[in-house]
Amino acid sequence: MRRLAAAALLLIGASSAALAQSAAPAEPPLGVHLGVATCSGSNCHGSTKPVRGSSVLNNEYLTWSRRDLHAKAYVMLLGEPAKKMAAALNLGDPTKAERCLNCHADTTKDTPGPLFHIEDGVGCEACHGGASRWLGSHISNATHQQNLERGLFPTENPIKRAELCLNCHFGDSKRYYLNHELYGAGHPRLAFELDTYTAIQPAHFAVSENYTTRKGRITDMQVWTAGQVIALVRRMDAVIDQRSHSGLWPDFATFDCQSCHHEFVPNMGPRLSSITGLDPGSVKFNDANAVMLRVAATRVAPGLAKSLDDHMLALDRATQSDWGTVQSEARTVRDIALSLETALAQHEYSPADMRALADALIALGTTDQAFSHDEQICMALQSIVAGLKSYPDLPHLQAITAAMEAVTDTFPKPEVIAPKDGMAPRDAGVFHYDAFVKALKNLQRTMR
Amino acid sequence: MRVRWWRCVLGGTLLGSMLAASAAAQIPADDGTHLGVTSCASDNCHGRVKPLDRVRVQQDEYLTWQHGGDKHSQAYKVLQQPLALRIAKNLDLPDAEHQKLCLDCHADNVPKERQGPQFDLTEGVGCEACHGGAVRWLGIHIAGRSHADNVEHGMVATEKPEARAGRCLACHVGDDKRFVTHQIMGAGHPPMPFELATYSQKMPPHWTVNQAYIDFKFKGQPNEPNDMQMWAVGLAEDVSRRMQLLLDPKNAPKGINPELSLFDCQACHHAMSKPEDLQWRPRASMGLPPGRIKLYDATAVMLWVVAERIAPDAARSLHTHLLALHQATGKDWNAVTSAAAEVQKDAIALVAALNAHDFGREDAKALATAVSGIAIDGVDLDYSGAQQEYDALRSIVTTMGQLGFTDRPQIDAWNEALDRLLASIADDQAYRPDDFVKAMQHFKEKFVF
Repeated sequence: MRRLAAAALLLIGASSAALAQSAAPAEPPLGVHLGVATCSGSNCHGSTKPVRGSSVLNNEYLTWSRRDLHAKAYVMLLGEPAKKMAAALNLGDPTKAERCLNCHADTTKDTPGPLFHIEDGVGCEACHGGASRWLGSHISNATHQQNLERGLFPTENPIKRAELCLNCHFGDSKRYYLNHELYGAGHPRLAFELDTYTAIQPAHFAVSENYTTRKGRITDMQVWTAGQVIALVRRMDAVIDQRSHSGLWPDFATFDCQSCHHEFVPNMGPRLSSITGLDPGSVKFNDANAVMLRVAATRVAPGLAKSLDDHMLALDRATQSDWGTVQSEARTVRDIALSLETALAQHEYSPADMRALADALIALGTTDQAFSHDEQICMALQSIVAGLKSYPDLPHLQAITAAMEAVTDTFPKPEVIAPKDGMAPRDAGVFHYDAFVKALKNLQRTMR
Repeated sequence: MRVRWWRCVLGGTLLGSMLAASAAAQIPADDGTHLGVTSCASDNCHGRVKPLDRVRVQQDEYLTWQHGGDKHSQAYKVLQQPLALRIAKNLDLPDAEHQKLCLDCHADNVPKERQGPQFDLTEGVGCEACHGGAVRWLGIHIAGRSHADNVEHGMVATEKPEARAGRCLACHVGDDKRFVTHQIMGAGHPPMPFELATYSQKMPPHWTVNQAYIDFKFKGQPNEPNDMQMWAVGLAEDVSRRMQLLLDPKNAPKGINPELSLFDCQACHHAMSKPEDLQWRPRASMGLPPGRIKLYDATAVMLWVVAERIAPDAARSLHTHLLALHQATGKDWNAVTSAAAEVQKDAIALVAALNAHDFGREDAKALATAVSGIAIDGVDLDYSGAQQEYDALRSIVTTMGQLGFTDRPQIDAWNEALDRLLASIADDQAYRPDDFVKAMQHFKEKFVF
């Protein structure tokens, strides 16, 4: 038995090495999950206020428990909407269904420690890894590197963070996706962009000098890039994955929601085919991550940008020939995305670079009415503005921030509903493209 | 078994009538030269300014068609409007008004050699688009011969459900030659809900069913078709056609999708910002998991409801095959076409059975209860289903008048209840099944006699 387990570990070790290379899903390292209570002591991460002079904020638990929806992830499963969804999917009690718990709680495979409570939702160890192997060194002033070696998950590493978050915020080929069946049963649409979502989580860390010394300097643009690359890789994985097909249909979760879910508007926007070469009435892939990467790469790696563009078009067009071609194009796009990661990660974004990128994004936004693109454009601009703020001497930062908020305000706001009702946040209101364009142009003026 | 006289002419046997059903569904490739609207619209023929009263033909048909709100007369002209130009542009066409793709349904698009000297394509869906090319029968028609004589010479018997369904559905559902594909829809063509009896009334009709009309058109028959029969036969023809479209290799999957306009529009085209925008709901008659695109089946569900009363064995068969059809979309296209062929057989058999049935007041009562039950019992609360349920009840209420029911306050109450139903389905994006069910309960309470 023990040998079998060792062999299994070896296999996991081998495959995770291979996966790391191909930037495939990363599993949090093995280790017994001890529970949120283990971390939230008042002199550890459960301080009520940030502690001055400490290497971390120390109030991480409070930020998470009071303001971060991850803490309410399990509670969501208690509400009526979750029960209805589970009934539609024949899952029984959502709080017992693996399909729900997998992302709405910390579903450690090992027997958890005595203080572990599944009701804590997506708690500390769901992201940072089971603490049994590193808690000792962690509280004994070990270096960050030493903690990592013992199994603390490197959440500061943009690629690793992207993989970790996207395990739930998109899905992966090893477990399962938030597929169209779940959406059809009533799951809210998931939008995601790593840098923005890290910030609005809200972040329970501050990138201070101390943080940079211990963990390296991580910029908003790096996080944004990693998020786009891994999101595109995951989308392509879903296309390549045979399981995503069901009867006549591919899994529509990999497609652009609004390419189908729109009203019948007689006075349409620009024809779809002007972007994709597809016939009117075609279902279009969600290519927003690819579009973002293309914009970024145009300045940094023009050859790869062209290649990405060509193959995304080929991928879209293949939907009108056969699924085999779709899958082979998806593999190519996946490879290009990973090469882009290498090219973009080495790039140090200067304020001039960020402004140029913002210009390109604004130019795209003022002509492209696809909601999926505009949403990513908005979040990319938020990352850029966050990036610019790390240069506090830059002029007009206040005006830029205000103009950015105005852009964000043109998007539907997630309804804030008390999680005790078990209601998931929903987009409320309607996206007004004209207002978005106006706000973009204003942002452009402030950035000049 | 009651057999209509025209089926005796066509063969008399069930097989004969089944063949007739499929024959009626096809417009003949050559129905002679079309002489044009002008040849019908003179003021002592069908172009009177005021209708004649209590006669078999009012003679103001042209006026009703041209100025009475009948959109068929504007069918060509809409091709010149900005929306049509936009659709054409999206389809890489230089215009709409010269394209066969558009003209086949937006005009009486017979080939040049069959256009008479006064024929004008821009008149849209004119007289002969529905009644057939007049060259062969205009002479005897003017000579005042019997309707049967006219029909024998090629006039289309539009008063009969099968023939009318064949004409209307050729465009309003489509066939192998004319079909509003999802590509055309995606380019901007509006969706096209249809129910034969309701849409005949909405056209508006350019005829009045009075005793003279009945005597002329249905002479020697045990009973004349009413709107309920028009509705029922129209449903069977509709389902048969939709199945034929599924069997058409042109509509098989190309790349990742089959022809999407055979599926339920609102299964995909719905808002998704609020929980109540969700369209999927469990349905025993469908049995598909959430998030799956559903074949359009609103007319088939309604046909099943009618069949349950008129032909229960056929109803069971249809129910089984319909469920199999939905399930087949979870397998592959071969499974879909096999199941569609079975559903089509059921529908064709039902054309005959429904044509033979004499729809009376008891049917109205029972069918209205069954139709409202579809909503109230949650059998089908999809938007497309709600549309068909409303149309069905509208046709049943209209039939009550045709059956001699004259209690005006009662009829007013029914119409008020129908209007309330209509209001609850006015906007597909704002459709809420709960409101529809409430309106349906209200109708059910009112529809007593």
